Amino acid sequence: MQQMEFDTKWTMVVDVDKCTGCGACMVSCQAENNIAPMEEGSNKLKTLTWMLVYELNNGKEFPNREVAYLPRPCMQCGHPACVPVCPVVATTKDEEGGIVSQIYPRCIGCRYCMAACPYHARYFGWLDPVWPGGMDKALSPSTSTRPRGVVEKCNFCHTRLMDARARARSEGLDPNKLPDGWYQPACLEACPTGAISFGDVKNPEHKVHELVKNPNAFRILESIGMDPQVYYISRRDWVREQSDNHVAEDKH
Amino acid sequence: MGIDRRTFIQLVTGGVVGSLFTPVIWKSLDDAAIWSQNWSWIPRLKYGAITEQASVAKFGAAPCAEIVKSVGGSPYLTRGNAENEMSKGGVDPVSASGPQLMYSPSRVNGPMKKTAEGKYESISWEDAEKLLSEKLAAVKGQKGKLAVVSGDSTGTATEVLSGFAAGMGAECYLMPSDEQGAAAALASMGGKGQIGYDLENSDFVLFVGADAMDSWGPVVRNQCVYSASRPTGEEIKTTYVYAGPFLNCTAAAADKWVPVAPGTGAIFCLGLAYHMLKAGASASASDFADFKTLVMSRFSPDKVEKATGVAGAEMAAIAKRIMKSSAPVVVAGSEFAQGAGAADVIAAAAVNMLLGRVNKDGGMKILPELPKAVDAAEGHSELVAKDFVGYLAGIAAGKVAAPEVMMAYEANPVYALPQNTALAQAVEKSGFLVSFSTFMDETASKADLIMPNPTCYERFEDAQTPYGVGAAMLAASAPVAEPLYNSKPTVDVVLGVASGLGIDLGYESADAVYQAKAEKAGADWDSLVEGAAYVSDSTESGSIKFAASVLSKAVAMPKGGEIALAPYSKLIFGTPTVAIPPMNVVVISKYELLGKDLMVQVNSKTAKKLGVSEGSKVKLAGAGGECAVRIHINEGVMNDVIAAPLGFGHTAWDAYSSGKGENISKLLTVGTESGTGLSVWTSSFVSIA
Ligand code: SF4
Ligand code: SF4
Repeated sequence: MQQMEFDTKWTMVVDVDKCTGCGACMVSCQAENNIAPMEEGSNKLKTLTWMLVYELNNGKEFPNREVAYLPRPCMQCGHPACVPVCPVVATTKDEEGGIVSQIYPRCIGCRYCMAACPYHARYFGWLDPVWPGGMDKALSPSTSTRPRGVVEKCNFCHTRLMDARARARSEGLDPNKLPDGWYQPACLEACPTGAISFGDVKNPEHKVHELVKNPNAFRILESIGMDPQVYYISRRDWVREQSDNHVAEDKH
Repeated sequence: MGIDRRTFIQLVTGGVVGSLFTPVIWKSLDDAAIWSQNWSWIPRLKYGAITEQASVAKFGAAPCAEIVKSVGGSPYLTRGNAENEMSKGGVDPVSASGPQLMYSPSRVNGPMKKTAEGKYESISWEDAEKLLSEKLAAVKGQKGKLAVVSGDSTGTATEVLSGFAAGMGAECYLMPSDEQGAAAALASMGGKGQIGYDLENSDFVLFVGADAMDSWGPVVRNQCVYSASRPTGEEIKTTYVYAGPFLNCTAAAADKWVPVAPGTGAIFCLGLAYHMLKAGASASASDFADFKTLVMSRFSPDKVEKATGVAGAEMAAIAKRIMKSSAPVVVAGSEFAQGAGAADVIAAAAVNMLLGRVNKDGGMKILPELPKAVDAAEGHSELVAKDFVGYLAGIAAGKVAAPEVMMAYEANPVYALPQNTALAQAVEKSGFLVSFSTFMDETASKADLIMPNPTCYERFEDAQTPYGVGAAMLAASAPVAEPLYNSKPTVDVVLGVASGLGIDLGYESADAVYQAKAEKAGADWDSLVEGAAYVSDSTESGSIKFAASVLSKAVAMPKGGEIALAPYSKLIFGTPTVAIPPMNVVVISKYELLGKDLMVQVNSKTAKKLGVSEGSKVKLAGAGGECAVRIHINEGVMNDVIAAPLGFGHTAWDAYSSGKGENISKLLTVGTESGTGLSVWTSSFVSIA
């Protein structure tokens, strides 16, 4: 498949070794993006969490067990599996910066994109979103609320990109060459351990430009060729090995 | 035939292949999408000016300095305030929910009094204050008739309560926390002030028990400091080691996890001291010789291994590694931030003393207390060292008379105390229970009078030197939002009631008290409310001793052969004061809560021994009660240990937390630490059926 290339490529780099699994990113993502609270949280097939922190382990028995936490937003794939399968073109990758968009009013809820996404990054609203009491007063002005029956996903807090561009315009800067740190997704902003870095991988002045070249940097399921815009870094071999569905006996 | 969303989707997806190229389908799909997304109620987004204001959030376990984002005056999002030393940027997962908690369905909307039928009726503030004044007037000056408990050890609000209690001739307590053991430890060692740790300048940090990344001390600050020492993609500057029974968040983030049996932190530290003493370490403290004799005779590697599970060779290697570091520090605390007593902290302090790391950069610090704003109040360390659990245990046992009035400020003792069933009943024995809670928590739902305090976003607030930080400091904030409900700052209530009872605390309003505190500390009030923290670089002078005589009594070797409980607490599940915030429900793992069932964790070897498997339903029984739970097999738990999360089993609050799981606090067994007399509950054993 032909890949669209853009002059900017917004990229997230997550330092797995620094994530303590505290969950602040997940909570902030919900607040920023108006994901309604849910009374029942353990049915992970029906819960909505654009950002999800997975717990990985090295598979060894006590006392050799090690654990790592892996935050998973949408990968904003270069070759997104979710885009071509959408019958109504509710999802596209044509935005400068390479963010895969999802247009909620157009989504018919067929969930083909969910089936296609190998990262389980897409979520279907099974339930009517409800903000009890006065909690709708704490809705964020940046993201529209979605009804039940449509598919949603992380969009790298796209409205923050628009805000950053507006700021650049007002300060006489090129809105397509934002300085490092001007555009920060909510999950990054909340993370106390600074495990998440974010920027334009094509801009040498952005930290992520170098970070993705780190010898310990990797992407999840890299071998299936979806070219994700989310990178991870870990010094631990077992963490890197699991990222590509590594099975111990497998020959590479 | 009716057409519903499902048939519609079948139609569309069936026809889609053939009709992709006709424009008609696009138009009709658009229409149909709009038609299919019918939504009974669509919340309107609020538009308006977006503003940002610094605040000090007190939702999480430690104060969190934040920037609150509001739209049209309504807070909706928060992030850490990197300019503030108290938490150095970043937010914890409870504070991240702060704006939504402000609108929580569990808020108490105004003052309420319990009627004869046990229902609540709304009353005016005037009537509520009148009622409280009458009850207080009846007990003024009589010892034991009034007890006050606060859940906030950092706020000057607690100083006001303490001063008020003193004026009433009554006692003021703090809810139990790690700080209590540390205060008792420092007193035993002959020091005064508050123990803190300068993690940022350390090159080797050993946490013994203390789950610093999730429940111990200033969590967010700990996380930020940890992060700064290991910049992404660069070299690690500080090595972190975690010693404890469960592979918790701190262990996961650490470079090494050393499994240590629950409740044996002090023995572990003294085991390290053994190797250090053998290698020639010493310290100039008056009781060094006693300490050395104690360690060499009672904490030899074989005995330590038997108690803690750590082999002698491994212990020796850790000791060697610490001694080789240039700025090491050892931090002890309970795995669930309460109940550890003084021995663990004394033993860890002993290691720091042997390393020469007391009051050194990157070491253990003894911080001065900031000057009091309320003269009549007790000093912070005296207040912290008082044993509320011991007091309630006395009431439960019928040895101490229950108070006629009990006032609970930002505290939920009916839910959050160990051996919960008995101690909650002791709280309820109070003749007249007053709750100053913002939320309808378990204590408020038992109270005779509820006088809701606004959230920290709607009131003035301050925070001084949270336990664990490496320097004395002060932060403060002004309200970021108009009060939503008919609440009133507790400090204002207490000042008013006090003056009616002829007790002069020296101030007329909450903000006047906080400003005075700032002034006395030498801080600039305006810059505090703008988001900066005042930081003092001074430490207490004077030396401390090993408290060898206390250690020799307080540290007992466990019997062994039992199944130990390793409770853990995570901020996702809330705090002792705040239940699971609505937005945090989906963050909870299915290995911790499955439907309404609480999951506890054992490794496969222990599971085999107990005859349980993944998902088994069992009953755990401890000294104080029973809990029905399910088993999850996790190799990150020590042999013969059950790891169990605290923070579930709420009976009040809202649908997001109520009726989910069990309150593990029921199983915690309260004992008394010999040598200090403190109530302790880190060693609890359970039977399983
Ligand atoms: S991660 Fe999934 S949803 Fe996101 S772009 Fe890739 S395929 Fe699409
Ligand atoms: S980038 Fe934004 S939308 Fe995506 S996970 Fe982070 S907070 Fe959520």
